[in-house]
Amino acid sequence: MIGAKEKNNIEIMLDNVGMTYDAADGKKVQALTSVTMDIHKGEFISLLGPSGCGKTTLLRIIADLLQPTSGKVLIGGETPKEARLKRKYGMVFQSAVLYDWRTVIKNIELPLEIIHESKAERRERAVKMLDLVGLSEFADHYPRQLSGGMQQRVGIARALALQPEILLMDEPFSALDEFTREKLHIDLLKIWRKTNKTIIFVTHNISESVFLSDRVCVLSPHPGRLSAVIDIDLPRPRAMEIRDTPEFTALVSKVRNSFEGV
Amino acid sequence: MAVKSISKRRSSVQSVVLPLIFGAALITAWQTGLLHILLNTDEYVLPYPTRIITIISENTDKIMVNVWASVQVAVLGLLLGSLLGYLIAIFAATFPKFGSGGLTIVSAFNAIHWTKDVSSEAEVRSTFAKIIVVTVVSMASMSVNAYRGLTELPVFSDDLMKTYAAGRLTEFTKLRLPNSVPYIFTALRVSVPGSVISALVSEYFAEYVIGVGRQIRENILIAQYSTAWAYIVTACIVGIVMYAILMVIEALVMKKRK
Repeated sequence: MIGAKEKNNIEIMLDNVGMTYDAADGKKVQALTSVTMDIHKGEFISLLGPSGCGKTTLLRIIADLLQPTSGKVLIGGETPKEARLKRKYGMVFQSAVLYDWRTVIKNIELPLEIIHESKAERRERAVKMLDLVGLSEFADHYPRQLSGGMQQRVGIARALALQPEILLMDEPFSALDEFTREKLHIDLLKIWRKTNKTIIFVTHNISESVFLSDRVCVLSPHPGRLSAVIDIDLPRPRAMEIRDTPEFTALVSKVRNSFEGV
Repeated sequence: MAVKSISKRRSSVQSVVLPLIFGAALITAWQTGLLHILLNTDEYVLPYPTRIITIISENTDKIMVNVWASVQVAVLGLLLGSLLGYLIAIFAATFPKFGSGGLTIVSAFNAIHWTKDVSSEAEVRSTFAKIIVVTVVSMASMSVNAYRGLTELPVFSDDLMKTYAAGRLTEFTKLRLPNSVPYIFTALRVSVPGSVISALVSEYFAEYVIGVGRQIRENILIAQYSTAWAYIVTACIVGIVMYAILMVIEALVMKKRK
């Protein structure tokens, strides 16, 4: 029995969500089947799984970039489309998707321009977001002048510019080197702590998912399905050193073992 | 860094110094008569460069009147053709079902010898008719390239606009239009020389005896080869100047994107 308080705290509800594609040869391909789960406000959730398990498909369904063929998704009691039109979420993609004709600060201002925010308000919020991701001195640089890690931080700042309640992140650090990725993990946790957003983070990296998340949702392929949900009860705030603790290693093993039964 | 600098220097040598050396060698061979021997011709059919320069300097006013007539045709036709080409590209990108077929037809215009066929068959008389010929030639290149710029978007960028609940007009002004700018310059690099050539050739068939192209034809007909050559050199200069202007504009506009 779910308590009333916990029920009120649910930000995203997935009920029996499924997705079937029509393949080129006319056959039906089941990308995702019967995914049911609740995500709470302010929670950091990872969708973890190998390629082809449907984790990005699930994220895109939540973002209203794909329509599920079965089941229901509610975001704060609204459909994904209503949530998208109300700009309830910000999205960070596998690549930073910065427009090369805009400076860093103008890239962050883009969503604010779209909602016709005043120029002064746009600039104020963009400056605040740049400060949040630690790139204030690069405001007038162009994307090509930044490293891959810095570009992704601009992408995060832009996603947060509209002050959404939810941040959807689709393998945002997968193209980065290990050192940059570890630094961005720390930065992301700091941003999350400051902003208290609900974050859904898609990854295929077990260690990354354990380090960042409150819960790791393990998806298995053929067909894509939710095969395990593992609570990560490591203390917060988390520092790099936590990766060397036996508790961290045990959780990584636990997540890895949850794949073995697939 | 040093390797990059050496590579850049080598590239500038290849793109600037080598053509200059080739040009200087050619002109020297021409002026000394070596070229006449190689081509088995004489100085009457192929006058020396100094002779051509003398004719240009002695007839500057007349030449400028004809240059102005040709440039008007080339520039107006280029602008009109580029604008129409871009509008066709927008239509094709907005309605891909009908548009892509239309684009194929427009790109096929390139294969037609408009400058000859349209000019002669329609009995081109006026500047306006010559502009139409240049317009058609310029339109094909712009429509095909601009369509690529409007549709070949950076990965996930259209998804990004969707997450902001951006309308089609917003998506066009904030994403597709700026994304198409480099493609516009790609089209213009083809259509600027194309507009000069088509303007000159359309003048061949025009009724009014004006324009650099028409002067080349008229002077060849009356065997005034030196004067014809003066207009040919002028035509080359017009083409080079227009292309240089395009390069400067492109460098200024694209400076921040490279």
